[in-house]
Amino acid sequence: MTDFVLPDELLARYITSSKWYRRADQTVKQDAFIPPEIPLELSTTRHLSLFENEIWGIGNKIVSGQPNRKLHGRADVRVSHVTSQLLSVVADPTADNPNHANIRGWPLSKDARKLLALEIARNARFVANPNP
Amino acid sequence: MLAIEMSSTPAVISGCSGQNLSAGDFIDQQMRELSIHLQKSNILGFGARGVFWELEKTFNECGVDGWDGEKAKAITREVLWNAQIFLESFPWGSESPEIGAEPDGAISLEWYRSPSRVVSVSINPRGGVYYAAIIGAKRRHGMDPVSFFVSYDLLDLIGEVTGEVL
Repeated sequence: MTDFVLPDELLARYITSSKWYRRADQTVKQDAFIPPEIPLELSTTRHLSLFENEIWGIGNKIVSGQPNRKLHGRADVRVSHVTSQLLSVVADPTADNPNHANIRGWPLSKDARKLLALEIARNARFVANPNP
Repeated sequence: MLAIEMSSTPAVISGCSGQNLSAGDFIDQQMRELSIHLQKSNILGFGARGVFWELEKTFNECGVDGWDGEKAKAITREVLWNAQIFLESFPWGSESPEIGAEPDGAISLEWYRSPSRVVSVSINPRGGVYYAAIIGAKRRHGMDPVSFFVSYDLLDLIGEVTGEVL
């Protein structure tokens, strides 16, 4: 696995809240792409060479042990759609997830972050969890 | 009980709380209170469409740190109250927003037609209302420092997305 994240790679953002996507047209809301403030970075998973079941396996691990929390799906977005917003994608492998990557470089003002999140969400594709 | 003093100068009205208001201010205040009452109404306003119930549900679902399975900040009761007060200030008959939760502890309100026609408003933990919109080729984002009343500018923006005049 390479630490350098390429523009044509796909990132998965796990949808762990029913409020992060629109049921009616299966699109992703900006809420899913708003980063927590400390640290100001958004957690994602690089697809790289993972099989579908492995991608879902990582997502399932995130919600496991969390009462009332389930994996609704994931938002797939191409790295170039993130970097075109002047954000960076940095590989950040963890013990649980060697494909983990963070989206960094968020502006300090919340309204500017919301606009970037809207732009990323607009280019993301919602994939429903096949085994919810 | 109301006392109206008539003279050559503008009428002054003593409201129930004892303060003296000009007739215009008094009518404004009464209209605002009526609007809030209607908005909360279970028959007529956002209340009827389950918006306040949805806010409570969001608070219950996202009221602990890590509610997303990762590093999300809890939505506090203060944010819930601010969102309620903010929504009560909308003109009666406004289209209801979709209620959401953001990982930084904010409650989001969304008016949506398509990914290219959407406005999202955040009620943030430290106060203030932050918004961003995509309307075709147009992009807008900004902040209103007052979170207990929706600004005319923001109402216009929501109206542009929904196609309603608010």
